[in-house]
Amino acid sequence: MTALTQLTDRPMVRTIGLGRRFGDQWAIQNLDLELAPGEVFALLGPNGAGKTTTVRLLTGLIAPTAGNAWLDGVDVVSDPHEVRRRIGLLTETPSLYERLSAEENLDFFGRLHGLPAALRAERIEELLRMFELWDRRADRAGAFSKGMKQKLAIARALLHEPKVLFLDEPTSSLDPEAAFIVREAMATLKREGRTIVLASHNLDEVERLADRVGFVRGRLLRVDSPARLRAGAAEPVVIADLRAAPSSDLVVRLRDRAFVRDLAVDGRRVRVRVSDPESATPQLARELVGCGADILGIRVETASLESVYFDVLGIAPTVNGAPS
Amino acid sequence: MIRPAIVFAVVRRELLEIVRNRTLLAAIVLPPILLVAIPILVTALGARNSLPPDVVANLVAARPEWAGLSPRQVADAFGLQQTLLFFLLMPATIPLAIASYSIVGEKQTRSLEAVIAAPISTAELLAGKAIAAVAPAVVTVWLAYAALIVVAGVALGTELARIVIDPTWLATVFVLGPAIGLLSVVIGMAISSRVNDPRAAQQLGTVIVLPLFGFFVIQLQSGHLLSAREYLLAAAAVFAVGVAGLRVGVRLFGRESILTRWR
Repeated sequence: MTALTQLTDRPMVRTIGLGRRFGDQWAIQNLDLELAPGEVFALLGPNGAGKTTTVRLLTGLIAPTAGNAWLDGVDVVSDPHEVRRRIGLLTETPSLYERLSAEENLDFFGRLHGLPAALRAERIEELLRMFELWDRRADRAGAFSKGMKQKLAIARALLHEPKVLFLDEPTSSLDPEAAFIVREAMATLKREGRTIVLASHNLDEVERLADRVGFVRGRLLRVDSPARLRAGAAEPVVIADLRAAPSSDLVVRLRDRAFVRDLAVDGRRVRVRVSDPESATPQLARELVGCGADILGIRVETASLESVYFDVLGIAPTVNGAPS
Repeated sequence: MIRPAIVFAVVRRELLEIVRNRTLLAAIVLPPILLVAIPILVTALGARNSLPPDVVANLVAARPEWAGLSPRQVADAFGLQQTLLFFLLMPATIPLAIASYSIVGEKQTRSLEAVIAAPISTAELLAGKAIAAVAPAVVTVWLAYAALIVVAGVALGTELARIVIDPTWLATVFVLGPAIGLLSVVIGMAISSRVNDPRAAQQLGTVIVLPLFGFFVIQLQSGHLLSAREYLLAAAAVFAVGVAGLRVGVRLFGRESILTRWR
């Protein structure tokens, strides 16, 4: 690594105009991005959107056609070897050596990362215990369940204590139980404060883990926190379920209130669109109680990340040919 | 710069996988047993007819050290000399089998994707794989050769046994064999990067044995025996082709190739 490639006061990941073309087709282009240390950043997009290409560019596995990228201040293009020392990568498939035991798989990668024998043994035990695989350490990886294989692959990615962990669709091929196990492992890593780049289709997973989300489809379409993305997509709705249908007087009175942007009544349910649910919800409750209505329940409904996803990516989902 | 510790890590892992792959293990262990048995049986049980006097004269002219042998012993010696081919076949076929299983296996489990995300250079990865494929073949051939010397001494007597330690055998076993092993690995790697079945890779890779059979047929037809010098020249040529092939292999094993073209 040269001094020129080392930046000061740097984000953990930084890209400027990064792009990669295969033949005439750009897989990703004009990617400008900065990730802070300790941030969990999710790349969301449909198949073929360029998520995996982005991960491969940022990990120095493929060279960009345009632009630049730095990881922990190291130029990904001019010093990919140094970049690979600082990253852990979980590929879409676990990519394990199935005839080797869990311990042997980790030992091999520990050697590739140049870990001394004592440290290697210490890290292997620590990670296998962390992922509850220690008792199966001598078993061949090929005999493991999908969830166990994925946990072993995560352990492998963490072995050398990487600065940035890249997880490429970590739960895409897993059954619900295995996916749960892997998500729990990812949540643990987030609590440890690791910088993580997560490429995923799974909106629930992204919403739970990511500090920020980047929507990708050939280029970066929008970046923000899941909460702000949801809040920005549509105004929240406060829903009150009453014991009896509201009187017309009550409806008229509510429509006059400043915090009410729109109001709809559906039987005994009142749906009030508001701009600030935090202040509007108690106000609505007071108005309803003040008019003698009995409230069975009251809740705030915001736009789902799924609806944001469809909106940002310009997808109109259909069910049996009809809009859903 | 190639770091020996990284190459050793690759070799170690490859060898661990080889000893746990029964099919591959059989492909390594069985040939040397046949390799020792066949030459002895062919010579000991083969037709004991003498060769025509002019052929014997030609052979003795080519191999002055055979001058003390009887015409029938010259015929036996000629037959034993032909079994040298087996010691060229083994370094050709074993590395091919290992390389095919190793690379196609990596494609099937996509295990190389994790490896190339680690700080290892293409040259280190390739060197480790090549050594792990060639070393078992070379060691096996050497062990089989040692066994052949002992068994030939016991079964055929010292006069004929001496033939298997003449310079042509030494050049073959210790120089040409490893060079053929290297070329075999290169061919195995090139083919395996394009196919998804190790057996298909091996079948395609067997083209490497055709020139070896060519050697064999030429010697039989002409009654001319290649000298140690000719074996060494052949080894130099094969080694040069193998090294050139390794350079091509570095491209085949480039990260982008593995990720975008290995399917």
